[in-house]
Amino acid sequence: MIKKYNIYLVLIILFFLCALINPNFLSIGNLSNISRQLAVTTILAFGATILIIGGMLDLSAGSVLALAGVLAVDCYKSTNSLILSLIVGILAGMACNLINAVMVANFKTPPFIATLAMMTMARGVALLYTQGQNILQLGDFVVFGQGTVFGMPVSVIFLIVIAIFTWYILKHTRFGRSLYAVGGNEAAAVASGINVIRSKYIAYLINGAFVGLAGVLFMSRINAGQPNGAIGFEFHALTAAIIGGTSFSGGVGTASGTLAGAFIVGFLNNIMNLANVDSYLQQVIRGAIIALAVIYDIWTKGRRTKGHLGNVEDKNKKQKVAS
Amino acid sequence: MKKISHVLVALLLSVALLAGCGGGSGGSAQPSAPPADSSSDSAPSAAPEDAGEQTFRVAYIARAQADSFAAWLANAVREEADKYPNISVDIMDGEASDDKVNSLIENSITNRYDLIIVQPNNGEAQRPYVEQIIAAGIFAITTNARIEGIAGGSSVDADPYMQAAVNAVAALEQVPENANVVVLNGPPGNFHADQRRLSWQTEFFEKRSDVTIVGEQIANWNKDEAMAFMEDWIQANDRIDAIISMNDNMAAGALEAVKDNPKFADILAYGVDGTAEAILLIQEGKMTSTCLQSAYDLAELLLETSNKLLTGQETEINTDIGNPLVTIDNVEQYIEMHKRAGAL
Repeated sequence: MIKKYNIYLVLIILFFLCALINPNFLSIGNLSNISRQLAVTTILAFGATILIIGGMLDLSAGSVLALAGVLAVDCYKSTNSLILSLIVGILAGMACNLINAVMVANFKTPPFIATLAMMTMARGVALLYTQGQNILQLGDFVVFGQGTVFGMPVSVIFLIVIAIFTWYILKHTRFGRSLYAVGGNEAAAVASGINVIRSKYIAYLINGAFVGLAGVLFMSRINAGQPNGAIGFEFHALTAAIIGGTSFSGGVGTASGTLAGAFIVGFLNNIMNLANVDSYLQQVIRGAIIALAVIYDIWTKGRRTKGHLGNVEDKNKKQKVAS
Repeated sequence: MKKISHVLVALLLSVALLAGCGGGSGGSAQPSAPPADSSSDSAPSAAPEDAGEQTFRVAYIARAQADSFAAWLANAVREEADKYPNISVDIMDGEASDDKVNSLIENSITNRYDLIIVQPNNGEAQRPYVEQIIAAGIFAITTNARIEGIAGGSSVDADPYMQAAVNAVAALEQVPENANVVVLNGPPGNFHADQRRLSWQTEFFEKRSDVTIVGEQIANWNKDEAMAFMEDWIQANDRIDAIISMNDNMAAGALEAVKDNPKFADILAYGVDGTAEAILLIQEGKMTSTCLQSAYDLAELLLETSNKLLTGQETEINTDIGNPLVTIDNVEQYIEMHKRAGAL
């Protein structure tokens, strides 16, 4: 029981440690900052979680985010419509991920290779489209990343909606259950009649919608359409998912775990900045935490497998004795 | 059936490859001229006497088209090249990778370009490859940043130390006594990032011991990273009097974090590059100053230098563009410059 909630215990302990280290940590302004800073990468992390649970991966998230973001910005500059620009961003993300899905599900391309190709293509298209130049003077477009509704940052509202959506589809839908089955053992999933190709398509399309939305929020937050923005964001997303207990082997992971993982990283970054910890040391600490999370994941999985085999052996022994 | 599909895929890839290779930029459709002196084994030679009639092929290897300044410079070089009917420029993208830049240099040597301009990703990593250009009898120019001490090589650059220094000298008077400041650095090891930081240290911090650095981080030239740092710093510090940034993009990110906060309404902010965004911020009174590193000036000087080398007027040129300080007093002329370029 305690093991199941380890990640949340770590988060709570870290929260109180941060509060002890620097009293500014607990201020409303700072907590709001952390949430806003985390919104983009956490939304990406939810997409990454869905894919990893299903045994897939998306290395193109940062590049597709940039492409979707600049298209959304340009759409807003041309039409002045917030809704239309939001839709364009989301559709752009979905279109790129539809290609990922075709490559992975139909052509059986390893997700690593398929999304690596998309990473290069999407960045190239974003740079071609903008000729490498930032799009400036975004006007009211910044409301997505900088606005508030009743004091709550708009980006955080999006984050909450996406978190609930991810939790719901993973926990309470047939698609969610089939995803765990596909990621856990694809051959067994096929044998049990699950439409694996369909599951992969849905997973990539949801991920694409999240990436597109993240693109809109990112560009809006920094008040510029940057075709070279968000480089490496796919790794921030993977970090949050892995720290949150999503297993790279597939079939394991939760939305709440990913949220906790993202906040652990966010708290750490925030407290290190508040305490003005040296840049180089920050990188060492971040790297060490990822390594620890993965070691812990492998260690607990090993114990679970060992425990399971142990039970099987005991059962066999008992059967032999009985016979 | 499988064999046919293999043949089709192979054909498709070949067509794509040919289409890609044939689509060079910079009007390189002109037949290439033979190398100025392919027999030379050390220093590049001057062009033959009929230089006026031939088209010289120039390879421009950009550090990374994804870097907004590098893209601006590459576009400016392409535009400037149109003014020289005797020069055709092919733009190549180093993709922020030493390996890629080095490979592009090697390929350009193999393709016998008449002159190769290299915008290094990392000067020391590219040094032996630029030396190979000279050894192959081809003219070489390094730019933004120059690689120092290459015999027979030329360079066109801005002085990163001076770019920061013009800001630092102004800041000596502007930053209030006992001020709290934050510092945003570029990637460690980058020549411009290191030189600009050194300049601030020598020209400002060593002369203003009353000033306290309450936050200093590497934001890798990125606006979003700088913004996140600034959001955290303003939580930890009630008073921040100035943002000292090694480029404009990071300064703009830090300003984005405080733009609606009345506590920081009078904050000073310094950058380098003179990007369109920074120029607008100066016009709005939000940013204090920047030093213009004009891609147009660099491109103009690069093509002028190339022409002089290729037509035999000179054999080696090392030159710098100026370091104009952009403030509220002279910002309008730079707004016009960016408008003309279509950046605004």
